[in-house]
Amino acid sequence: MKVPVIIDCDTGVDDAVALICALASDRLDIRAITTVAGNQTLDKTSVNTLNLVDFLGSRVRVSKGADKPLNRELVTAARVHGSCGLGGVELPKSRQDFYHKNAVETIAEEALAAKGELQIIAVGPLTNIAQAILAYPSLKGSIKRITLMGGSIDGGNHTPAAEFNIYVDPEAAQVVMNSGIPIVMVGLEVTEKAYLTREEIMELSLWHAKDDRNIAIKALLENMLEICIMFGYKGAVMHDPLALCHVLDESLIKTKAMNIQVETQGEITRGKTVADRYRVTDRKPNALVGLEIDRIRFVELVKELLNKYSN
Amino acid sequence: MRKIPVIIDCDPGHDDAIALIIALGSDMLDVRAVTTCAGNQTPDKTLNNALRVLSFIEKRPVVAQGALVPIMRELMIAPEVHGESGLDGPELPPPAFAPSSKNADEIMHDILSHASEKITLIPTGPLTNIGILLSAHPEIKDKIERIILMGGAAVGGNWTPGAEFNILVDPEAADIVFKSGVPIVMCGLDVTHKAMIFKDETEKFRQIGNKTGKLVAELLDFFDLFHRKEGFGFAGAPLHDPCAVAYAIDPSLFTSKDYYVEIETKGLHTLGATVVDFKNKKGLAHNATVVLDLDREKFIDLMYRAVKNLV
Repeated sequence: MKVPVIIDCDTGVDDAVALICALASDRLDIRAITTVAGNQTLDKTSVNTLNLVDFLGSRVRVSKGADKPLNRELVTAARVHGSCGLGGVELPKSRQDFYHKNAVETIAEEALAAKGELQIIAVGPLTNIAQAILAYPSLKGSIKRITLMGGSIDGGNHTPAAEFNIYVDPEAAQVVMNSGIPIVMVGLEVTEKAYLTREEIMELSLWHAKDDRNIAIKALLENMLEICIMFGYKGAVMHDPLALCHVLDESLIKTKAMNIQVETQGEITRGKTVADRYRVTDRKPNALVGLEIDRIRFVELVKELLNKYSN
Repeated sequence: MRKIPVIIDCDPGHDDAIALIIALGSDMLDVRAVTTCAGNQTPDKTLNNALRVLSFIEKRPVVAQGALVPIMRELMIAPEVHGESGLDGPELPPPAFAPSSKNADEIMHDILSHASEKITLIPTGPLTNIGILLSAHPEIKDKIERIILMGGAAVGGNWTPGAEFNILVDPEAADIVFKSGVPIVMCGLDVTHKAMIFKDETEKFRQIGNKTGKLVAELLDFFDLFHRKEGFGFAGAPLHDPCAVAYAIDPSLFTSKDYYVEIETKGLHTLGATVVDFKNKKGLAHNATVVLDLDREKFIDLMYRAVKNLV
């Protein structure tokens, strides 16, 4: 049985790699891809997503979402993803158009249709998800799980306290965390360990491929590698692909149930995902927080998915 | 051997009491004054407790009461940990001497302005008195060797998920201290949760045979009760305040690293958080040595030797 999912993203270099992996998997029934502002402006993340989906030969609907956070000015990550949002990689213009419904409507529509089985894989700021939950409270009962790439219980990447996605829209994240919908938080504790080394990337069958598709995938991976090495990591850090892969294989990440609250008032700690590690409050756990990963098996899964494009 | 001149500011409190005992028993420290603040209990109780402990071990440094409440917040106390008296457990006779008629600020200012050498401050409670001292008398900053404080947590919290108790009680005071430019050593939960004492080690204190050893064991017996809470997952009891005193006596027992640390004074879930810029994202000059680990056995041994030196 394929898992019905909506992928919400702000493509984004690692979002792109996550989408490439998702579209290669035969275990997912991708009902739609919804876009949000984050790594870049909504226009750019949306066009990147639309172009990528078409480029990979898929007909999955792409639906545009929020162009700014619930309550804040948009902060983007041009330093990491470039001014176009794809690290300088250019894709041909999509022959398809966006789905006529917006992200919130699409999420509501698909949740109803999937009769409680719909899962959301959210790899950008959580604006769309929060808006959907706020506009359609009955969604709380019909979304099976939200697997989100975001947050960090130890320390941040965008600021010392916060990871980027949650920093961009802390109010949305707080709505999602406290919504009652089962959540898996794939945060920096695990994503920073989910890297592919240069050697591992070079072992991919696409490395020597000559077709446009594989050349573009290779360019994205090389871009990730360059930026990540510059930041001091051991390889290309696959934040978003890890969240996607967890849906395909839950044994990849060891999680612990914790209560997470998102800081929306602090200035220094804006966007911090505060974990009640010691159960000092009586708040019940509201998320499964990723703590450890099996990097080798994660790398195998990513390779398996990416290699499908050269078969 | 030149003793290190120190002023201890505390809110006894079981672990403050043990820290005082270690400081007075050590050959390495010259305790010029003991000042008290509010925190673990109300200010009159913490003053009384300091006087009772010092009387019991037959030491009479100058004792002065400090601020009765935090700089701008309502006082929060911890009877759950320290009991109604703030030192529940052992039977302690009333004080054998009276505190100074001067308050803590006056005493500290007097000592610092007239000292021929720099003085080390060792705060083991909320930082109210130190914050007031630095604000009201900025010119004496140059007379402070460094501030070795028990407080904060680079990762996590113990009273709330985001913060350690001392900093939480008076975040504004902590903010003044961390922005003051005075060298800081932060002994937070990162190290104090590793400074565990176990039941068989408590017995060894009792078996020293002197009355101070028996007092320390009884203080530990009571202190251990709170730390049996399931959420903590502790096998022993963390010796928070003794870490700060032990650092003053022998810093080689500890592992630490310099970072830029900021205090969150506005957050809802993160009020009182000590935000450590691990990745140097802000590019600001380091303002604190954050203590991260210790040689636990040597630490217990240091405590043991100090207690043996007393009555």
